[in-house]
Amino acid sequence: MINFERVSKRYEQRDALRDVSVEIAAGEMVFLTGHSGAGKSTMLRLLMLLDRASSGRLLVNGNDVATIRGARIAKYRQDFGIVFQDHQLLFDRSIFDNVALPLEIAGFHPRDIGRRVRAALDKVGLLGRESANPVVLSGGEQQRVGIARAVVARPKILVADEPTGNLDPGLSAEIMGLFDAFHRVGVTVIVASHDLALISRLRHRIITLKEGRLIGGVGS
Amino acid sequence: MGQRPALVSWADHHRKAASQSLQRLIAEPVQSFLTCLAVGVALALPAVLWALLQNVEVVAGNIQTSARFTLLLEQDVSLETAQLMAAELETRSDIELVEAIDRRDALARFAEEVGFSELVDNLHNNPLPNSLQLHPGTSLTVSELDDLADALVALSGVEQVVFDTQWQARLQAAITASQRLTLGVGVLMVLGAVLILGNTVRLGIEARREEITVIKLIGGGDGFARRPLLYAGLWSGSAGGFFGAVLVALLFWFVSPPAERLFDLYGLDRRFIGLGLPGMLILTAVGGLAGLVSAWSTALIHLRRAQPR
Repeated sequence: MINFERVSKRYEQRDALRDVSVEIAAGEMVFLTGHSGAGKSTMLRLLMLLDRASSGRLLVNGNDVATIRGARIAKYRQDFGIVFQDHQLLFDRSIFDNVALPLEIAGFHPRDIGRRVRAALDKVGLLGRESANPVVLSGGEQQRVGIARAVVARPKILVADEPTGNLDPGLSAEIMGLFDAFHRVGVTVIVASHDLALISRLRHRIITLKEGRLIGGVGS
Repeated sequence: MGQRPALVSWADHHRKAASQSLQRLIAEPVQSFLTCLAVGVALALPAVLWALLQNVEVVAGNIQTSARFTLLLEQDVSLETAQLMAAELETRSDIELVEAIDRRDALARFAEEVGFSELVDNLHNNPLPNSLQLHPGTSLTVSELDDLADALVALSGVEQVVFDTQWQARLQAAITASQRLTLGVGVLMVLGAVLILGNTVRLGIEARREEITVIKLIGGGDGFARRPLLYAGLWSGSAGGFFGAVLVALLFWFVSPPAERLFDLYGLDRRFIGLGLPGMLILTAVGGLAGLVSAWSTALIHLRRAQPR
């Protein structure tokens, strides 16, 4: 489903990715790990088209993403659910409106939006808090709202960049459990994390990067 | 179920963006009021000039209709001949009315007006000729009046045509210059309004940078991110235009009593012309359009920069 073919990315003076080739199958759950600066975020940025590869090819569903430009970028990103380390919630609106945003963008009917938002909040255990402002939630709860927003439009691919970076171990395990649950219902899940102790417990492929090079987890 | 036809959800989002951006403006009443007032003041100035010009043109039109020629005939043209000439001239399409004036009446009137009746009585012979007083058609332009004057001079028996078209030409030139000035000031002021609104929209983008970034990251296009900004521009601009219209109306309410008195003193039965309802609506629409243009251009420049990191 996702195919990095000898991908390199060079930022001004620094090679962020060097000749990385890896394939991630549909429905698979993988972890990307490595020290900070090893290239985890760069791989996700290339996948989300926030950056373009300096060389090599990145294929998603068999299409070279280099051909996706302009207005088609937004459409492409709608196939993904993204979870950020700092959750990126909007504090000028309710939890409901935060989670509803991807559905509004995709053009769902208000009735369907209500139904789906409540279903997503139910999955992350926050049903009944829809009308609150996310600012009143704890860090772990905010991250769960972020996950609800990422999955509400039922994306084929769920991408998370250090989703437990700011959370204590108990909450982190809980969050990883949520990702695992989505993987079990068929979603392709890619989680970048440097918390090796946590991710090694989950028994999924771990792709390890070091200084931009792939050093482990190439095959499944 | 699920996703709907693009047009339906597009219309839906328009409705939502429109109401949300209005709510945002209302949520910051002082800031919004000041912005709209600034736009209103900018738009009021050209509107005032325009309305003043309407009044000047009406007054000028009135003066034009009161224009008349005096044809001084040669000394040997008798009153009967003058009357025949008058009747003949009246058949011309560019002449409304011709009146033959007896030289004796003219002298008597002159004596009365000047107050030298004794002196006049002592004159051995009347120095004034018979004359024709001629009212040209009211719709004639200055150049047509000039043509008419030339035709009248060429008539046999006419010694001199007394008619000063030069001041009318000057008046018309002054009006044309004022029209250009109004147009120029109008364009400048609308540009000013666009810049004021553009700055407001830019601040709105700064304040909502986070939202715009998130929208882009989760698959919202520029159009989706831009829509609330366009509506914010439209609302502030329209409100600004409306404020401008109200300012102009207040100003004219203040000015019109003495202005109408002035008209009265000039014997003009005229009401002072304000913007009127159509003018107010046009000003509101101009404001709205300025807001839309400024939001569009600002969004075009600044949304590009608001790329997710």
